[in-house]
Amino acid sequence: MATSSIGQPRRQRRRQFLRTAAGSAAGLAGVLASRQPPAYAQARELTFLTVASFVPETDKELKRQLEEWGALNKVKVRLDIIAHLQLQAKKAAEVQARSGHDLTALGPGLGDAELYFDHLVGLNDVAAEIGRKNGGWLNPDDYLIRGTWTLLPWWQPPFPMAVRTDLLKKLGEENPDTWEDWLRIGKKGKAIGHPFGIALGHSGDANVTLLSILWSYGGSYVAKDGETVTINSPETREAMEFVKRLYTEAMDPEVLAWDDASNNRCLNAGKCIGIHNPISAFESAKKDKVRVPGTQQPIAEVIDHLNTPRGPKGRKATTGFWCVGIWNFAKNAELAKDFLRFHFRPENLDKWVEAGHGFNMPFLNNLTRHPVYESDPQYRHIPDVAKVTVPPSWPGPTTAASQQVLDLYIIPDMFAQYATGRMTLDQAISWGEKEITEIYRRRRT
Amino acid sequence: MNNAIAIGRVRRTRRRRALRALFTIYLPVLPYVLFALFPLYFMLVTSLKSNAELYDVHSVPFWIAEGITASHYTLLSAETPFWDWFANSLIVSVTATAISVVLSVLAAYPLARLRFPGADSFGVAVFITYLVPPSLLFLPLSSVVNWLGLSDSLWSLVVTYPTFLVPFCTWLLMGYFRTVPKEIEECAMLDGCSRFQSMLRILLPAAVPGLICAALFAFTLSWNEFLYALVFVSPAELKTMTVGVFSELIRGDIYYWGSLMAGACIGSIPIVIAYVLFLDYYVSGLTSGAIK
Repeated sequence: MATSSIGQPRRQRRRQFLRTAAGSAAGLAGVLASRQPPAYAQARELTFLTVASFVPETDKELKRQLEEWGALNKVKVRLDIIAHLQLQAKKAAEVQARSGHDLTALGPGLGDAELYFDHLVGLNDVAAEIGRKNGGWLNPDDYLIRGTWTLLPWWQPPFPMAVRTDLLKKLGEENPDTWEDWLRIGKKGKAIGHPFGIALGHSGDANVTLLSILWSYGGSYVAKDGETVTINSPETREAMEFVKRLYTEAMDPEVLAWDDASNNRCLNAGKCIGIHNPISAFESAKKDKVRVPGTQQPIAEVIDHLNTPRGPKGRKATTGFWCVGIWNFAKNAELAKDFLRFHFRPENLDKWVEAGHGFNMPFLNNLTRHPVYESDPQYRHIPDVAKVTVPPSWPGPTTAASQQVLDLYIIPDMFAQYATGRMTLDQAISWGEKEITEIYRRRRT
Repeated sequence: MNNAIAIGRVRRTRRRRALRALFTIYLPVLPYVLFALFPLYFMLVTSLKSNAELYDVHSVPFWIAEGITASHYTLLSAETPFWDWFANSLIVSVTATAISVVLSVLAAYPLARLRFPGADSFGVAVFITYLVPPSLLFLPLSSVVNWLGLSDSLWSLVVTYPTFLVPFCTWLLMGYFRTVPKEIEECAMLDGCSRFQSMLRILLPAAVPGLICAALFAFTLSWNEFLYALVFVSPAELKTMTVGVFSELIRGDIYYWGSLMAGACIGSIPIVIAYVLFLDYYVSGLTSGAIK
């Protein structure tokens, strides 16, 4: 009997060949029919869409972690970064096409959980594990939308007050603590060409600061039931009277046209005595070596950060709640969950918060006590601000309607219309009440 | 003596003409030129200032007082993939322009030359298509791009840009083709040219200004396009310049003004070159269609 070179009978080799060929043909037919490459040939790839961080080092650390995770798991990774203003269009297009990134940044605000509820993967298991490892979530009830976790709150930039210490000294003032203190200081500052600055236009900062004032005076726009509109109240009137005085006595009219960058510019240009803003203005002043006008002194040396101001009814603030979620049309939802577990490990979050100089504070108890907040006196009040930070719909739950109130800038418009004298107090509140009621009514039906 | 008088008279006449031109042409035009060039000038000045000067409220914003810096251009080149974005913009704009102009010629010719029922209505419909804003179209188009499997590739832009370029170029070329006497084409056809040959060999050479005008418009629109480039392409290395600069140099409430202006300056160069080279064609292409 003829044998092959390795000593096996020729017949057996032929059978083997036929068997292999038949198997290959069947496999190929299957691949062609299903239009999917076989599992072992599929390059596993995780794609992540996020917004450009206000502190660029944060993105570099996130990319490093993603690549490290990819190398550990033999997964190709891709981090795509866009400006935060572009995120709305991008999300809408990905949902419409039901195709896009696996992981996506969501926000600002928790409202995306409601708006995209039917398009997001449930994250109860991941959230529970992450909470357990990081000393628990700050306010877990706030993050549950329709009783479930469809996104993870990722980071917030707390809103302290940034103040020019040299000007305070010049005016003979101590560190202000209440909104009334700021009105007094703003008046004095404006008299010497250094007004106070909060945005009253269509910007995220205007929403944040005016809601902070509204709550500090005891007002709110929706009740805890998430249905009853509560904007028409004596407390709202008091808050609006205060903002009118702040606008006319302590600020310049330019605040009506301010975007999110304008208050940073006002502080760093040496004009404003104080602004309500995250530490980004200070960070950029340091990076760009901006000087106090007319001197060689770096302006960062005369900027300090104080707690968000207190009102007659307490201290409350809000901010952009930046979140992360997984689309339910993602090709690699399980890999995405795995990366979230990796990124939210205490040691990785530590590095990520460190890289952001404390700008990006996670919504996790242990991270509010991160050493970075003690590394520089500038950051000392940030954990205090985070403690009084609530979602913009407070005391109501986050819903699509509450997100729409924010997106349409109803609160800034209501305050601005009275502050500028375009409407009387009654007219402005009636207008705001009508708009908010209509939004909530439409979302109910 | 007479010669000297004659020379003096000629000089006076020349001077008078020059003065007349100065007061009737150059000085009246000057404000418009300054107005048109001011954004370019401001971009350039801002891109060459230090950050410290940019933030200084006491500095005059219209010139550089504390020395020129190239740091914004360095940041753009060294810390962002700016030149990849530039190349992507160029590739997409040139390709989309070429495809759109060819398609527009094929659409505009029958609408301008052939008599068939509804030709005028088709012409109006083509223009109305141009008026549908991209902010409405990007959602359905994202489904189309995904269905074609072109997401996250430059091809997604090459395919979608003609949706707004073709209607505009068709409309522009229809007007221009109508200014070319059809008798020339009829002569060519009498001499044996087919309809296609007469278009190719007779009409198109006569319509070069119109074609260049359409191509310039298409190139400019593609070069400046933002929304589709944002939505259909995500990887950093595939972004076009408009989206890339915006993504990297606006970080929340921090704007990198100097580098943004540096990007805008470099980004305007291809458009400036194209318009300078083809300005005469552009003007005649625009106006010829209007005076038939």
